Amino acid sequence: MLSFRLAILLLFRTTFRHWRKNLGSYFLLVGIVAVGVGAFNGIRQASRSASANFGLFNQAVSGQSDFLIESSTQRLNSNILQDLAQISKEPDWHLLPVIEGSVTSLDSNGSPDQQLRLVGLDLLSLANLPSLMESKFDFGKEEPNWYEWLGSENFVWIGSEAGRKLGIEEGDEISFFASGRVREMVVRKFIDASSVSFPDDLVIGDLPTVQNLLSRKGELNRIEVIVDQIEMRENLNFLQGIKDRISKNLPKNLTLKATQNRAADRASMTAAFRLNLTILSLIAILVGAYLILQALDAAVVRRRAEVATLISLGVNRGVLFITFLFESAVIGVLGSILGIGVGWFFAFLSAQMLADTVNALYFATTIEAISLTLQDCLFGLCLGFLFTLLAGWLPARDAMQTPPAQILSRGDWSPGFSWLRKSRVGIVLILSGLIFLVFPPFPLAGGGKMAIGGFLASGCWILGAALLSGHVLVRLAGLIKPYCAGPITRLVFSRLQDGSSRHRLSVAGLVVAVGMVTGMFQMVDSFRITIEEWFDVRFQADLYVSERGVTGAGTINGIDPLVMDKLVHENMVSYADIVYISYAKPPEGITILSGVDMKAWSTQIRQLWLKKPGSLKPVEGCEPALISETFARRFDLIDGGFIELDTMTGKKKISPIGIFSDYGNEFGTAAVDIPIWKEWTQSERPINVSLYLGKGSNVNEIRDQLRLSYPGLDVRNASELRDVALGIFEQTFKATSALNGIGLMVAFAGLLLGLFAIFDESSRTWFTLDYLGFSRKQFLLTAGLEGAAIGMGAWISGSLVGVALGWLLINVINVQSFGWTLQWHLPWTDFVIFGLLLFAIGFLSGVLSAALWIRKQK
Amino acid sequence: MASLKENHPEHVLEISSACKSFGQLGVLKGVNLIIKKGERIALMGPSGSGKSTLLNCISGVENLDSGDIFLNNSSIRELNRSGVEALRRESIGYIFQSFHLLPTLTAFENIELPAQLIDMPKDERIEKVRKILKLVGLSSRSQHKPDELSGGERQRVAIARALIHNPHLVLADEPTGSLDSKSGDDVLSLLEELSIEQGVALLMVTHDRTSTRICNRVISIQDGCLV
Repeated sequence: MLSFRLAILLLFRTTFRHWRKNLGSYFLLVGIVAVGVGAFNGIRQASRSASANFGLFNQAVSGQSDFLIESSTQRLNSNILQDLAQISKEPDWHLLPVIEGSVTSLDSNGSPDQQLRLVGLDLLSLANLPSLMESKFDFGKEEPNWYEWLGSENFVWIGSEAGRKLGIEEGDEISFFASGRVREMVVRKFIDASSVSFPDDLVIGDLPTVQNLLSRKGELNRIEVIVDQIEMRENLNFLQGIKDRISKNLPKNLTLKATQNRAADRASMTAAFRLNLTILSLIAILVGAYLILQALDAAVVRRRAEVATLISLGVNRGVLFITFLFESAVIGVLGSILGIGVGWFFAFLSAQMLADTVNALYFATTIEAISLTLQDCLFGLCLGFLFTLLAGWLPARDAMQTPPAQILSRGDWSPGFSWLRKSRVGIVLILSGLIFLVFPPFPLAGGGKMAIGGFLASGCWILGAALLSGHVLVRLAGLIKPYCAGPITRLVFSRLQDGSSRHRLSVAGLVVAVGMVTGMFQMVDSFRITIEEWFDVRFQADLYVSERGVTGAGTINGIDPLVMDKLVHENMVSYADIVYISYAKPPEGITILSGVDMKAWSTQIRQLWLKKPGSLKPVEGCEPALISETFARRFDLIDGGFIELDTMTGKKKISPIGIFSDYGNEFGTAAVDIPIWKEWTQSERPINVSLYLGKGSNVNEIRDQLRLSYPGLDVRNASELRDVALGIFEQTFKATSALNGIGLMVAFAGLLLGLFAIFDESSRTWFTLDYLGFSRKQFLLTAGLEGAAIGMGAWISGSLVGVALGWLLINVINVQSFGWTLQWHLPWTDFVIFGLLLFAIGFLSGVLSAALWIRKQK
Repeated sequence: MASLKENHPEHVLEISSACKSFGQLGVLKGVNLIIKKGERIALMGPSGSGKSTLLNCISGVENLDSGDIFLNNSSIRELNRSGVEALRRESIGYIFQSFHLLPTLTAFENIELPAQLIDMPKDERIEKVRKILKLVGLSSRSQHKPDELSGGERQRVAIARALIHNPHLVLADEPTGSLDSKSGDDVLSLLEELSIEQGVALLMVTHDRTSTRICNRVISIQDGCLV
């Protein structure tokens, strides 16, 4: 208790007085924690905001439905309503059939403007449920002639905010690209977005209208169940009773689940994406903690004499330890509180970027208002506090070890961090990383996998390399020093060879950043090169046609079969490779079932084959299929075998005969012959087509003709398609690059702080040199070279671990998480440029910290 | 002043009406002093009397408020920062109470450093370092770092470092203050021997009257004035 009181006393009598003298520095520290916590919280919030808006219509329109009836493929035939007759008769609940899809509005030039979610409802049913709606969805039923739209197929309802954005009024016409056609609709009424939480990308239509727009006649996505006694919604026993009664009469191919579970299912599609973002945003906190460590360490160096005096006066070392920990705790708490606000700001800035990525990779979404939950606040506070406390631990220990006698008798004394001088821990970590490599991937909800061993190995290797980097620096300096004849280089390399703990700490921090960045260099470069090669091999057709305006690998819309039929019978088309896709339900998660011309795919259509068609023997009684590598790895079919997929017409077994590379999605694709696909899915609607034109055709001329004839279709030549795909690729790595940039900046700031602490602690050396006639220029040059040498040392160690990380990312993490084989490519030029950059920034950091030190001495 | 430069080539150092204060506290109050070639002077005085400040002003580490200091007939006040640095490199040797050897350099490298700073040719430099190491009796310890040497050995390295570049003036700030009496005695003898041999002027700050035995002249400073 006395120790605690004494620590508090010291905090107020010494620590906070130092703060008052260096208020700017401590504001900066609090700011660093705030940025770290803010980056973490902001990414969480932005990711939630960016991908939350694929939520179900019922959250906005019906206020709240209680259960959903759906099939494993998320498609139903309207006839199913007859099978549900027994259920629909009951007065205790109401059934509401729903169809969902995407359309794209046109701008004034007739080009795609905004992608919108189209939801079709049985509006008559909805009108009969007014008392059940917690949120009022007013689509005009109070008007005397509200039913006028009955029988009309061109009315839609949109949010007032969306109307404002699109520049239209109630009663105006609105044009959509839908199923490869341009359709004119009329806005029947705006839905007041203020009265219900109505997303501004949502368009509501009557069920037949939407089925027609999407060319999905007689099709539904799900049926929502709304209990009649809404006051009983919170009663779990009541709900369970309802669930049991519905389940009893439910056809076997349908499932009943709570509405919230459905949202969770959909969220699981992006689980891997969000997990990667979380890991990356954790890095922001880690580098922030490193900065705090460096800065507090510098503070310990500055206050060394004071600490020594306190020890001489008999202050217990434990008290000093607690005092320094208190100091970091105060910084942590202040920074974390500020970080919550910063996080909201970051979320606001990055939400659109993440939404674009989700749009490109998964499904159509728009940003929902950034929401800050109590959980966010608590999580951010705890995380910031914990990391700052951990960062303060080492400097506090260092302060505790200050021996007063030595501080008085010896100047260049470098205590603490003795563990940095031991190579054993680093070697053990690197070996542990090797062991973690044999860990199998961890299955995620939704069927994805997390390369847990790969992530643990990368953590061990980065940390191990950081710990060993000090030894590498010392060894390298020892090798170079004999060749240094001049006083400056000799002094620099003798100091590096001596390898003080602070030199080791500075190089270690930089190694982490360099390792991560060079690892990412390789992954991005390897990814780009692999995709480009894949493009060169895979895309040999003349033109590629898809539905206009709709993006997202996970968005399954399609082209009207009549439009497709007309297109492929155009004179100039010699062969059309039509592709059909739909979702199918494997035992875990969701996957994509594709219909292709199997004969052409096995013989003529070029693919990047991992296993050529025919190299795998199909299992008897199963449908032969060509599967993507992702699919093969996800379901352990690399060496053949079979898997059962739930389709519209029940469970079907497929067995691979070949495996192709595909970088289009992370859910995996299984392709069967088109007639089989149509039979299984009960659908006729293709997703896209590759057109092979007759010899001597002018590709661009035909493309332009087709664009005019089919305004609802996107017609691209190979190079245009390549640009689009590379655009998606760049989008994917935007968040990664941004976080890499933050990590690097923080690492350099850490180097600056580290060098400043080094020079501060070497004050005696500089004073001596000053007496010996060492000029200011020579001092700055020495400091610059020392910084540059640390930069180069970090570059060497960091590049080594970066190469290992690159290998890990490409051959373990990517393969296990996404099932993608990438060609490992070392971007030498980037490495060299990065090395030069490190040299330059190290030099500048050295000069700047020396200049700051000189200024401080004055 | 110009006449001083022309007429007194034997003067290594001439201090004229030197004044220096820190805030309200006057530390040097019109100090006048002349040191001739080869002269060895002990500067004594109580703590806070201005001894170290005077040494700092002579070496150009601190600037005078008024008055002037001439080293080899050149005014320090007229020199810019790089001029002062060059003066320190070329004309002054400095010996500290607590040695101030660079901890990462060996004894040989520590001694060699001032010679490197004045760009002495390599062969000549190495020869000189070897010779002076022999003179201070540390040939066998040349590759040892400061933390591997005893206090007396460290101070002998510091003396060698102060003399390696043939300075005109050696400033010694309590050179025996951190040593036991035997080591201190050895160091003083060495300092006397080398300064005589090299004809170097010595200004030594000391508290210890016995240390003055190697000096030709003893002066005292009290309240910023030489008495």
